[in-house]
Amino acid sequence: MRSIRAKLETVPSALAAAAAALLVVPLGCDGALRAPIPAAHGEHETPRRGGVLRLATVYDLRSLDPALPPDGLAGHVFPLLFDGLVELDRDGRVVPDLAERWDVEDSGKLYRFVLRPGVTMHDGAELTADDVKRSVERSLHPSTPSGVSANFDAVVGYAAYTSGKAEHLEGVAVEGRYVVTFRLTQPDAAFLSLLAVPAMRPVCASAGDRSKRGWLPCGAGPFRLEPDGWQRGTSLRVVRHESYFRPGLPHLDAVEWMLAMPQVPQRFRFEDGQLDMLMDPVQADYARFAADPRWRDMGVPLFENITWGEAMNTRLPPFDNVEVRRAVAAAIDREQFPKVKPAQMSASAQLLPTSMPGYDPTWACQPHDEAAALEHMRKAGYPFDPATGVGGWPHPIAYTLADQSANFYVAQIVQQQLARIGIRLELRVMNLPAYWAVTERQGGTQMAPWGNQADYADPSSFFDSLFTTSGISPEQSNNVSFYSNPRYDGLVARARHEMDAAARQGLYRQAQEILCDEAPWAFTWAQRDYVIRQPYVKGFAAHRVLPFDVRGVWLDRGDAPLEQVLRGGLR
Amino acid sequence: MLDARGRARFVRNRAAVAGAAVVAALVLFALVGPALARHDAYTSDFVNGVSPTGMPVGPSAGFPLGADTIFRDVFARLAAAGRISLVIAAASTAIASVIGASVGIVAGYYEGERAPRLGWLRLDVDGALMRLVDVLLAFPFLLLVMAIGAALQRTTAVTIFVVLGITGWLGIARVLRSKTMQVRALDYVVASRALGQPPATIMLKHVLPNVAGTLVVLATVQVAQMIVADSILSYLGVGIAPPTPTWGRMLFEGQPYYATAPWLVAAPGVAILLAVWGFNMLGEGLRDALDPREA
Repeated sequence: MRSIRAKLETVPSALAAAAAALLVVPLGCDGALRAPIPAAHGEHETPRRGGVLRLATVYDLRSLDPALPPDGLAGHVFPLLFDGLVELDRDGRVVPDLAERWDVEDSGKLYRFVLRPGVTMHDGAELTADDVKRSVERSLHPSTPSGVSANFDAVVGYAAYTSGKAEHLEGVAVEGRYVVTFRLTQPDAAFLSLLAVPAMRPVCASAGDRSKRGWLPCGAGPFRLEPDGWQRGTSLRVVRHESYFRPGLPHLDAVEWMLAMPQVPQRFRFEDGQLDMLMDPVQADYARFAADPRWRDMGVPLFENITWGEAMNTRLPPFDNVEVRRAVAAAIDREQFPKVKPAQMSASAQLLPTSMPGYDPTWACQPHDEAAALEHMRKAGYPFDPATGVGGWPHPIAYTLADQSANFYVAQIVQQQLARIGIRLELRVMNLPAYWAVTERQGGTQMAPWGNQADYADPSSFFDSLFTTSGISPEQSNNVSFYSNPRYDGLVARARHEMDAAARQGLYRQAQEILCDEAPWAFTWAQRDYVIRQPYVKGFAAHRVLPFDVRGVWLDRGDAPLEQVLRGGLR
Repeated sequence: MLDARGRARFVRNRAAVAGAAVVAALVLFALVGPALARHDAYTSDFVNGVSPTGMPVGPSAGFPLGADTIFRDVFARLAAAGRISLVIAAASTAIASVIGASVGIVAGYYEGERAPRLGWLRLDVDGALMRLVDVLLAFPFLLLVMAIGAALQRTTAVTIFVVLGITGWLGIARVLRSKTMQVRALDYVVASRALGQPPATIMLKHVLPNVAGTLVVLATVQVAQMIVADSILSYLGVGIAPPTPTWGRMLFEGQPYYATAPWLVAAPGVAILLAVWGFNMLGEGLRDALDPREA
């Protein structure tokens, strides 16, 4: 028979022990970090060849086809797999890449590129002008849901090709094995920059003439993907392209990512020496690393080149009413967001982030004004009395968000702020791919946080497709607010073809004034990522456009015993 | 249900009394805690909830259990979460108890017997119900919650307790089936059957009262299991959508701050620990009190 007395003696003790453990474990972790794993040599050594760069990310991948809109990790991986005719240097300037030179003729309406001879693609074939033309046509094919297609509407024959009336894109011509030309109907100030986007990068003949599922990514980049290199939802590994055209590059044997890994285990693995760089530190970790003198110099702030906003679906009530959108834009107090993650967030009330030409630090074009927000609600026909809580939009609003991002916190703050003007958000948390799919589907959700990262160093990377009518599609829409305004479309189109910098900036200013007033987005915050590296990771530097550029990285781990390295280094 | 000797046995069992006290305290905390809190559980305080270093403030007079990652009062949220977690646990246990008792009693009553013919079909009631239990035992309830959440695009408290309830009755059914098999062999049950009382009447009037004690014990322990299950769901991000607090979600949200703001994990962790321990002790105490061998 069970003894009550025995139970009395053991159970409360077990409870006390468990409770004590629960309290002591976190308290016992006094914030002391493990020591960094030292580099074998000083900072100015010649790059060494070899090694595998191990990374992890909260993101997942839907596709590695550069013709499709990049999302999640794809923007990090494309520059490794695919080189373009041109590329952007770390300051965002256009420099030669697969094209060794180019000429601009006919007052900016003809671009003639001369390819480097002897460039070997991942399948062993030599890159030719035919590959360039085929790749461009593949990305702009009407069956391809490209995110940048509309940006190339100045190419001669674009309309006929994208409507399916022409078999080929007339404006892209092969003039020899290594010469390809682009003819435009009118000059395009962003055209050279645009050629650096992933969708314009040559792909192997195996890609075919249109995007299709099941294609093994193959290009001319410094790394290549092996058939089993991508385990969906789990890992991605790219290995060195031994025939890469730049001598001595890349330095690394391979780069591998663990996919969809929450931030906390990432930090544990990094500290334990299982990851070489920490890509997604949370605010608490950032504070701990920044406070530790051993780690302080290992942090690398990236450029602030992502703008976030609250995208309101203008095709669904109540956001089909511009006054409600104006109310939302005015009700959001953006200064509250950086308090949650001061290292990575800054308040933003405009479309362009600080790294983008045309950013105006003095301009808050959607100022916080709660009284004005309430007035907009009244004009919309949904007056709200904050004192009594009576009125407002009578139904909860479906608000979709992903479970792994700063927006998890932002959404709850926005929810509090909008409640003060009579708008109730019903948060629907889902995983990242589901969030993308729902938000990009016409009628998928009423409201969602949405961000845009520069594809190239030009304002058109923000103004085009995110808000233009041509950016709307039933699925995988770039324009997730499904906003359409012919005047805005006209201004943006004129700006793209305006070659005078000041006049162009003026047009974009007018376009942004429309966005701020009609508020398809309520702009909220700008993102500045921050990575932490082990000291033996060298050659990493922030890129003004690319989110995470490891093409120049090399490892100088030296002779530290593997076991020591795996255990997290020297204390 | 408990006679005088049973009550005496319960009172002598100090672990059971302690468990009952903890449960009562938690219920009281959930009921009056939000009223005692100085802040609303859903509202951030960007002035007083932020420390000079930018981190949420720790336990203080204004925030007895500190502030959370977006500067809401952890005390207020813990109490609000207590209401939700306890209601979910109690409601899901009620559903599980009703289903489990029904299935267990019916299966146990018909065990080893040829059931009445239903048209051309002669159904082995016990066999069918127990195979259903076997199948459901193999079904991952987490997947079910996620599927329902995806279908509804939103997981609510009702979703959670319904799913937990309709997946949590299996153990109860098995135990009550065994208990019913014992009861149906008692003389007065045999006599009732011989007198031609309908099976439903016998099960309700004679079997159910005799297995009720066991059911109460099972249900009490089940509440603890439901609290853990709800916490797991919330911790894994498939629980109730934010900003509604649950203990599991609070634990999840505090996890990245375990070293710099340990109160964020300690507060919900201790609450879960106390609730589970309290209900387990209460259940075990009731079982011992109802068991004549403990006399």
